[in-house]
Amino acid sequence: MKNKLFYIGLSFLIFVTSSCLSDHKIRLNDEVSVQASDDLPENPLLLHPITSSIQPKDSAMSTLYANDVAFDYASEHSDAHYPIGSELYEVTWKQQPDEQWFGANIPKKILQVERVSIGSDNASVYTLYSGRPLKSVNTDNHSDRIVHIVSQRMAMVP
Amino acid sequence: MKKWSVILVVLVTIFGIAQLIRPKEISNRPLSDLKNVPKDVNDVLRSSCFDCHSSETNLKWFDRITPANFLVNGHVLAGRKALDFSGWDTLTTSQQNNILSYALNKILEGEMPLPSYSFIHRDSKLSPKDINLLKQFLLSRTPRKVSDTAQLQQSNISFEQLQQNKAKHIGKQVVFAPNGIAYISDYRNWHAISSSDRFDNGTMRIIFANDIAVKAIQNKQTNPWPDDAVFAKTAWKQQVNADGSVTTGAFVQVEFMIKDSHKYAKTKGWGWARWRGNDLQPYGKDALFTAECISCHQPVENNDFVFTQPLNLHSLIAQSK
Repeated sequence: MKNKLFYIGLSFLIFVTSSCLSDHKIRLNDEVSVQASDDLPENPLLLHPITSSIQPKDSAMSTLYANDVAFDYASEHSDAHYPIGSELYEVTWKQQPDEQWFGANIPKKILQVERVSIGSDNASVYTLYSGRPLKSVNTDNHSDRIVHIVSQRMAMVP
Repeated sequence: MKKWSVILVVLVTIFGIAQLIRPKEISNRPLSDLKNVPKDVNDVLRSSCFDCHSSETNLKWFDRITPANFLVNGHVLAGRKALDFSGWDTLTTSQQNNILSYALNKILEGEMPLPSYSFIHRDSKLSPKDINLLKQFLLSRTPRKVSDTAQLQQSNISFEQLQQNKAKHIGKQVVFAPNGIAYISDYRNWHAISSSDRFDNGTMRIIFANDIAVKAIQNKQTNPWPDDAVFAKTAWKQQVNADGSVTTGAFVQVEFMIKDSHKYAKTKGWGWARWRGNDLQPYGKDALFTAECISCHQPVENNDFVFTQPLNLHSLIAQSK
């Protein structure tokens, strides 16, 4: 009888504990994040965000990230002449309605990552990563994408 | 039997005497239909919101009985203070949209109409059809329109001002928030943990987090967030370009959430603050403005009052090559 009571008590405790835990879940958005299996040379999401943009026609949104060199440059300049050593990543997500706020959209999943590096010869090198996991894919005509990426000016704050 | 009769007489007498004690009469000034709002939307707002959120308060007979009248009066006064449709015509379209958006989201969260109110006032409950009507109406009021010349000019001026004044702002004393919180000037160098497209009010946001918050993400210790974790939700106007794409326009505001479970115990463990405009005007008349912040974040109480579902930055570090 004592054993029975003990197990009933224990079950109740586990139930109560698990209920409490389930109310306070750790919510990290893995779907919108870069994965370890993605074939990127570094983690763009840990770089400095320069600005963000939305493409309503494609239900997509992007954030342009930069390394220290490019971030410092964009803070002071609004031209597209990034210095040697600059690394820029345009990360584009599919959008989804924000379930917590009608009237907002948030990222759903990564569609592609575009990288522009300014090499020692001052030339821009463009790489497109897409698919799941993200892999570099060959692109023929990407000069317009380079212009689009480097010409975005910084979202300034006071 | 005699005993029960005495108790009943006593209770009825107390109830009768209690009716002499009444709260101050709630004013009731009829409100015309809201301008530029379709009749069916007006009808929904009138039947579900106006009693507590406008000058027109039609109390039922049972609302006037003590002690219910004290409860109802409290609801109405607090409701009018939080949101009042009476001044609708004096508001800009943008302010009207904010009100509608806020009201609709409170309805969707199940917070409004107050369950204790709608339990008695059954006609205040909104049907799925009513809710859909409000959704469609709000969407119809918030289309993305290509920015006009004036908006583009404002965006350019804002950008140039901020770029030129950037150095001057370093060390400049920004006025404290009414609750004593000091402006944090270096958040633009923090990591982004998400972004959002608020098409309902024409803004776009990047949510920045300090190193402590980022470390908490990497260690999966985000609920609750550790003390000293700070978020800076930064909003810019949406600039809609001719090709339909949307880019960041003028700076609108930055909102901070600063975690300190002891220092800010009275405000759910968070210090709340907001500064608006290029001149960083603190938001709120007095420290009570935090009630507004908490009320808005209440639906995400189980997420430690944080709306944003952060990017998983943890796996990314391990993956660096």
